[in-house]
Amino acid sequence: MTEHVLGSEVPELQLTGVSRRYGDNLAVRSIDAAIPAHKISVIVGPSGCGKSTLLRMISGLDTPTDGEVRFEGAPVRGVPEGLAMVFQDYSRSLYPWMRVDKNVAFPIRRLPAAERAERVRFAIEEVGLKGKESLYPWQMSGGMQQRVAIARALASHPRLLLMDEPFASVDAQTRADLEDLVMRIQAELGITVLVVTHDIDESVYLADRIFVLSTPPSVVAEVIDVDLPRPRDHVSTKTEPEFVRIRGHVTSLLRRPDADAEGAHGSLVASTAAGEIA
Amino acid sequence: MRLLHEPYRGSTEVALGVVGVVGSAVVAEVVLRSGLLDVPGLPIPSEVARSVGDLLQDSVFWEAIRFTALEWMLGLAIATVVGLALGGLMGAFGVVFRAFEWPVEAFRVLPSVAVGPIVVVVVGQGMLPLSLTVALSCLWPILLNTMYGVRGVDTTAVMTARSMGVGEVGLLLRVKLPSALPFAFTGVRVSASIGLLVAVSAELLMGNGSGIGGYILQNTANATSLDLVYAATIVAGLLGVLVNIALAKVDATALAWKKGLAQ
Repeated sequence: MTEHVLGSEVPELQLTGVSRRYGDNLAVRSIDAAIPAHKISVIVGPSGCGKSTLLRMISGLDTPTDGEVRFEGAPVRGVPEGLAMVFQDYSRSLYPWMRVDKNVAFPIRRLPAAERAERVRFAIEEVGLKGKESLYPWQMSGGMQQRVAIARALASHPRLLLMDEPFASVDAQTRADLEDLVMRIQAELGITVLVVTHDIDESVYLADRIFVLSTPPSVVAEVIDVDLPRPRDHVSTKTEPEFVRIRGHVTSLLRRPDADAEGAHGSLVASTAAGEIA
Repeated sequence: MRLLHEPYRGSTEVALGVVGVVGSAVVAEVVLRSGLLDVPGLPIPSEVARSVGDLLQDSVFWEAIRFTALEWMLGLAIATVVGLALGGLMGAFGVVFRAFEWPVEAFRVLPSVAVGPIVVVVVGQGMLPLSLTVALSCLWPILLNTMYGVRGVDTTAVMTARSMGVGEVGLLLRVKLPSALPFAFTGVRVSASIGLLVAVSAELLMGNGSGIGGYILQNTANATSLDLVYAATIVAGLLGVLVNIALAKVDATALAWKKGLAQ
């Protein structure tokens, strides 16, 4: 595994041999990963490679059948404090009976009213939705709804922000805007961000560190540190030779492992069968 | 050709409704007056209409309306509270569902009016036993709709709440029940009509002369004023229509957010 400059810090999130099995189906084989603090990390992989499963285990919503997730040094059992999650499907993730401000205030509803109001105000401004507080989410465009979901995550003052395919349901222009929004917020607040995506462009554009997953049962095929300068920009960053090089490399990784993974899958089935006989 | 779901303009819609009601009344009037149908006791619309007018000037009848309306609403309220609570718990927790599945199935098919006299024995006379009888019949649509609404809650909505550290009870109160509310309210609307039916029936059976049912009973006993009985029935029907309009209004305003529920 590559140990670059980023690796010198204590990782915010440490995955050791994390596996997830559903019945006879092994979704995630054995993931080792060190997610650095105060950076943007991206897990990229083909559809159905267990990315969302992995994210659920990191967030404590699901438990690994094997291995361990450590957040800030402590093993994750249940959803840890200091973690917030943004889902792909904003229309299902936001609560339609609550107006924007109530949705954003939901994770901090137990705080004193004054502090709650202040955090809601800040979060809504941060995502550029000032003045939209009393709309219902379903009265807004998809991009705006996802901004509400991001604001809700920010309101809880997370140290780790998990995003599961956050921009897969919006149009290309909105997607670009939201990518920039996340990078700006991360830079301002210094939080650790972990994004799961199947979009190679997006992974390279956002990431300080990319974890490329193989086809299922997935393992980390390669870890790539991206040293492209920040702030990044959709035009200049994406034409830099380094961007193009990494994108090409990730693309080839995601294409190639198909053959390898088939072999690996075959041997796994064999070993499982042997285990059962024993 | 017009399809059924294409709405007419508001004025056209009202006019068509009036034509329907007045038209059938005129047909009935003609058929009965001409002797085409000669069965004693059938309601002649014009005379029933006159009786409705008489009734509405009778303070005893107004008291009967007030009694029935209160009894009905109290019953519906009890059914709503119990239905939401038990339906919510049964929808959210398998243990509660298993425990109550068969009792619910058994009680659901009991005619509540038949249970009414037992209720009287247990809680005594007055409005309460009547309301409890109403509640017993109103409970099921609310309970079942709430239960299925809670079960059908979106998994992403649930996962989101869990990711924000919401526990099982909080999940039921803050996510599952609210998102089941539009379904539960459909149950309330269905139950409202059943409730009026049962309220008047229960009064006929064990009302001791109170409510619209009691009024009808006393006047049929006199056996002279059948028109008055028909008129009282029509007033009860109008009461039902009014409450249905009110509930539809609540549905369209307080629950307008339901169009945001993921399909």
